[in-house]
Amino acid sequence: MVVLNFTLSEDGVAVLHDALACMFKFSDDVCLEARKDKLTLTTLNISKSAYVCFSFAANRFFSKYNFEGSPQYRERFSCQLYIKSLLTIFRARGGASDVSRENAAIERCDVAIDDGVGKKSRLVARISFRNGITASHSLPYEVKAPTHAKFNQDEAGNCWAISSKTLRQLMDHFGPSIELLDINTDEENHVVNFTCFTEKVQKRGATNSEAVLKKPLHTNIAVEMDEFDDVSVEDKMHIIISVKDFRAILQHAQITSGDLATSYSNPGRPMKLTYGADGVLCEFILMTVGEKDATYQRHKTPKANSAKAPTSRPELDSASHRASSAQQVQPAPSVEKQPTQHKIPTASRPPPPAFDMRPPPPPPPTAPRSPGLFISQDGGDDDDHQWDPVNPDEEEEENARIEWHSNSESDPFAPRISSFARKPTQQSDATPPERLVSGLEPTQRLSDVRRFGLFSE
Amino acid sequence: MATQRTQRQNSSAPVPPIFRAVASSTRPLYQLLKSINFTHKVHVEITENGIRFATDHARVMQGVAHWNKNLFTTYLTNLPEPEHRPSSSASDSESDPEPPSTTFQISLPALLETLQIFGAADAASRQAKSDVDPYRSNLRNYRSDAFSNQALGMAGTCSLSYAAEGDPLSIVLEESGVNTTCNLTTYVPEIPEDIPFDIENLSFKIITQARWLLDALAELAPASPEKLTITASKKEPYLRLTSSGGPLGSSSVDFAKGRDLLETFVVNTRGGKVWSNTFKFDILKSASEAMKIASKVSLRGDSQGVLSMQFMVEIEGGSLSFLDFRFVPYAISEAEEGSDDGSEAEEGEGEVGQDGEMDLDGE
Repeated sequence: MVVLNFTLSEDGVAVLHDALACMFKFSDDVCLEARKDKLTLTTLNISKSAYVCFSFAANRFFSKYNFEGSPQYRERFSCQLYIKSLLTIFRARGGASDVSRENAAIERCDVAIDDGVGKKSRLVARISFRNGITASHSLPYEVKAPTHAKFNQDEAGNCWAISSKTLRQLMDHFGPSIELLDINTDEENHVVNFTCFTEKVQKRGATNSEAVLKKPLHTNIAVEMDEFDDVSVEDKMHIIISVKDFRAILQHAQITSGDLATSYSNPGRPMKLTYGADGVLCEFILMTVGEKDATYQRHKTPKANSAKAPTSRPELDSASHRASSAQQVQPAPSVEKQPTQHKIPTASRPPPPAFDMRPPPPPPPTAPRSPGLFISQDGGDDDDHQWDPVNPDEEEEENARIEWHSNSESDPFAPRISSFARKPTQQSDATPPERLVSGLEPTQRLSDVRRFGLFSE
Repeated sequence: MATQRTQRQNSSAPVPPIFRAVASSTRPLYQLLKSINFTHKVHVEITENGIRFATDHARVMQGVAHWNKNLFTTYLTNLPEPEHRPSSSASDSESDPEPPSTTFQISLPALLETLQIFGAADAASRQAKSDVDPYRSNLRNYRSDAFSNQALGMAGTCSLSYAAEGDPLSIVLEESGVNTTCNLTTYVPEIPEDIPFDIENLSFKIITQARWLLDALAELAPASPEKLTITASKKEPYLRLTSSGGPLGSSSVDFAKGRDLLETFVVNTRGGKVWSNTFKFDILKSASEAMKIASKVSLRGDSQGVLSMQFMVEIEGGSLSFLDFRFVPYAISEAEEGSDDGSEAEEGEGEVGQDGEMDLDGE
């Protein structure tokens, strides 16, 4: 029983190809979901941090579209296919790029899905060329319900819209091998900042204990708010997304040349990007990188926010110092109390070498567990910072074990975080004897060596 | 006349070489040879009218290319008699019923490498590469302009000579004062028999544009199939290529509709049967280089299932050259045949219809 059949024009094939090519940058397989009124292609990337959804309106995009349904699939039919195999079928042929081979161009493309009991599950695409050649491809698929990402539109108070062409041009300024993009607004200067940077570190030195930033470069692109169609963003709100995903989206968006609209709430919460043209609606939901003090940021009034702007990057240095000194005292709270910092998932990083870098201090007699005590501790350790290495990235490395969701209340990964928080404590139990036997590191922190009585308090 | 005079001068030399030829452009030579580039060794047969190159892959595929005499500005032979008696002069052998020839084997990749030593054929591909990669340094970018020798394929002269049997084939390439001499070792020929093809008893003959055959293969190739079945039938779909055995599903290409699709179409199978044989996809794909440069292809199949593809290549300057390929099909087992028929019957529906006109005029 034919569940679904539709016909695409030559242009339709090209549009479908662009969509699939865009999805291919996120994932290897695509979920096809057919309903009476639309065909939806969705995919979720392997780390489940990005979700892509293309909806093709039945009456506008296709030259013919017919969802028959079957007793099994009355309302909708969904299946999963390899993007790679679809890409090779739905691609422009000969004539599109070469006028002399106009004959080899696609005339029409008929796609049918035939499913039912006792039938081979095949998607059959029959492509007719102008010269009379007909190619028919039959692809196996897996009947599978798609996974859709949830996005709470009510929660997302921040939004902006801009022509995708303009945005694509800005992207040219992004350097190579950058990973993260920080989008924030500056109401005073009436600009939106796109700051791109990477936190990738490379190990240096024989013992691999020294980590330096691979690309210590921040590129900030300030865009006048006039360029935007609509900006309604909490001032100084830093939202950080992956550049790779953003690039993939923009590359596709500029083809459709529609307006790209975004909406998001807070760091650590998803961000939605949409644009559409000619019966195709493109939706992307990207997870944003969570900031440590997102909770803090959220509860601040916009006024307080602008007064005491935590511009993430400038503040990073001192912040990370504070964090590291806190960590020396008691690792567990430092995870919770760590200030503004951009986090990327631990998986993409080398294991944190925190406790290889210097001998872990024994827990102070009055192990301060409350955050309040910490702050005073920070003050006391101020002189420590003089002895810090000039490059603060190594501290950053130490703190990289925070997951995205570390501070969002509805945190599904909470157990994981606590396990991360616990781990250092276990390590510190195990390592001290070993480190003490091997001797002292050439450079020491003041706070570390005090216990040896070298410096009086 | 001019050639004869040169010949006489040569024959006055102590030992006239068996073969000597000079070409002003290596590009057509390279292109023709490249299309049969699927093995390491090529059989070279030098005759009075040209050179025949035959390659053979596991005795299931055979490719033959010819360098016609007229590709060269000078072409001289001093071939030994078939009985291997050294002939006193080349003109004597004309009376011999069997044309004299000399054969040897040579390394095909080495020969190809030699012919494009000045990048005659490579310029275009290099240019394409540099277009793709715009960030390449300008300093190192040897992009040639449209009128460079390389783009025109006039990389000086190329002279080939084969002094005596067992001697290396010597190729001298000259370009703007730079002489490159390459001596390619020749090997004793194995004298492989041609794949038998019953030209008197053809099952079908189809002439179409080579480019379309290439398109059809390009349509099937991405699924990386293992086998390709070629079906020729009197009724629709007339000519069908079906791929199978790939991990991403199966595909088929029909040459069914369209007025000018098939130039010649003759099917001589008895009792309404179709000619259907399965070949290894990869060996058919090795002919794709020929499909690229050829203008027309003649597909023929004999009653034993052997497929012959003959490509007509228009050489720069208007002359024609032919490339011959022969393919041996998979042996058909009963079970396989059954399943093939089943899938065809299933897929054949739905597309039969409108305009199935074509010229069934034959030869």
